[in-house]
Amino acid sequence: MPPTTTEASKRDKRAIGVSWAVLAAATVLAWLLTPGESEATTTVGKELVAVIVVLAAIKGRLIIRYFMEVRHAPRWLRHTTDAWLAILWTTLLTLYLI
Amino acid sequence: MTSTATLPADGSAAPQKAGKREVWIVYWAFTIFYLALTIGVCFLGRATPPPRPDVSQAQAAAWFDQHQLGIQIGFTFLLMIAGGAAIANGIVGYFMKRMSSGKMLAYAYIATMGVGAIPGFQVILVCWLTAVFRPDREPRILYMLYDLGMLSYNGSLGCFTAAYTVVAIAVIYDKNHIFPKWFAYVTIWQIVTELLASQMWLYKSGAFAWNGMITLYLALVIFGVWITCFLALFRIAAKRESAQTPALYEPEGSR
Amino acid sequence: MTAPSPHPPSPQPPVSTTARTEAQGGDRRLPGDIDMWVMVLGDLFFFGCYFIVYMVFRAQSVEEFSAAQRHLHIGVGVVNTVVLLTSSLFAARAVIAVREGALDGARRLLWATGGCGVLFVLLKIYEWHDGLSHGRTIHDEFFSYYYVFTGLHLVHLALGLLVLGVALRELRAVGRQRPTIVEQSVLFWHMIDLLWVVIFALLYLMR
Repeated sequence: MPPTTTEASKRDKRAIGVSWAVLAAATVLAWLLTPGESEATTTVGKELVAVIVVLAAIKGRLIIRYFMEVRHAPRWLRHTTDAWLAILWTTLLTLYLI
Repeated sequence: MTSTATLPADGSAAPQKAGKREVWIVYWAFTIFYLALTIGVCFLGRATPPPRPDVSQAQAAAWFDQHQLGIQIGFTFLLMIAGGAAIANGIVGYFMKRMSSGKMLAYAYIATMGVGAIPGFQVILVCWLTAVFRPDREPRILYMLYDLGMLSYNGSLGCFTAAYTVVAIAVIYDKNHIFPKWFAYVTIWQIVTELLASQMWLYKSGAFAWNGMITLYLALVIFGVWITCFLALFRIAAKRESAQTPALYEPEGSR
Repeated sequence: MTAPSPHPPSPQPPVSTTARTEAQGGDRRLPGDIDMWVMVLGDLFFFGCYFIVYMVFRAQSVEEFSAAQRHLHIGVGVVNTVVLLTSSLFAARAVIAVREGALDGARRLLWATGGCGVLFVLLKIYEWHDGLSHGRTIHDEFFSYYYVFTGLHLVHLALGLLVLGVALRELRAVGRQRPTIVEQSVLFWHMIDLLWVVIFALLYLMR
């Protein structure tokens, strides 16, 4: 079977590459936002935690949609994975804030 | 499976329906055993949901006193039907031998589950029955039996992880499609919960104690899912066995 | 929650190479197979439950948890995350390479995936060793969760390495590669990555 490169697989490769860059950038961004170990504050601010949660949810969705290829998957799977992300992060954030 | 029908001299016409009725009898024995186990352990023996792991000597003795009759009835009954575990292993072994992944794994399953039944089932029965039938013993001895029973019952993992691993491997490598492949993955969760259960030796409270949210309640949910799938898949597999399905004891070539 | 798509979400036609299994009805297809999705969705559900239990217990003693969490090196966590993300990048590229029929490339990419996985394990061992040598044991409530969650994740990662090995063996057999086997293995690998992203945010950042 000779190697075949189609338009679609080129597009997939580009999408995966861009996803990786966004994921790495989001990780580093979350690091820069979080105060260092020596800082005296006991907990990070509420706004900051909200930002961290949103970044993590976006990262999760990128992994699911682009790495796991759920964007090509049937609707039930897209909805199930979205529901998992939404319920998990909403619950975790709520529990953190109360 | 236990039939000892001897093969005719020409090795051809073994009683073709022989395997089927036994499979169903054992299937129902399996189902009823697990049902009885659930009733005995949950409602009479009170081992699930469990008593608290962080009690004092006096509290443990008082707990035995409070549940004396329930434990006496429930666990004596379970002690009498304890052999049901072996029958349950029999049907699992039967279907595992039907798989193309080899009989060795079936034997390994039967052996590991057979040994696992001792710490995972018999020890709690014996410990707690001793405690409720000899309530006059010192509280510190009752306290020991209380801990020993629970830790053995929930914290004994080595044999079970091996048994689940063997099932998962057998299902994944089976080309006869006796069980679907997703069941192997569900079995892997069982291994993970057994590994997590090792934590309950270390804690007396919190999510990892023997009454912890992670080590017990979520593990119970996973076990419930697993055993329900298992029983449903046995039903399907047993129904699929037609009159033409060759019995296991026929010579290799005819299968 | 909006889709953070790197490019406009245009409906994409199905990729039809000889190696790719066609969708049954419509242009949608399930990556991997349904069995692996049972595993992945179940794992995500139960890990989700564990994370929520952690948060419930954390809410009961915020000060202690927060103080303990500040002992974790975020830098190591970030490096760990990037290593695992990179491994997932290689894995995703490997699947495309298999579909294109570039089997040598796919093999190299899978080896790179596994390499990153091993690097992750080494970093984790360093982190555990560092934590334990500073007396951070399970006697601290936060660290009991930390060791259990990261340990459970490592067990999954070890399984993932095994599964990558299965995919590599599949690629070695000449002429009868089943791309779905590689897809399933890679799917499992991405799940490990996904769980780590949650663990990283939960234990290292939300303090």
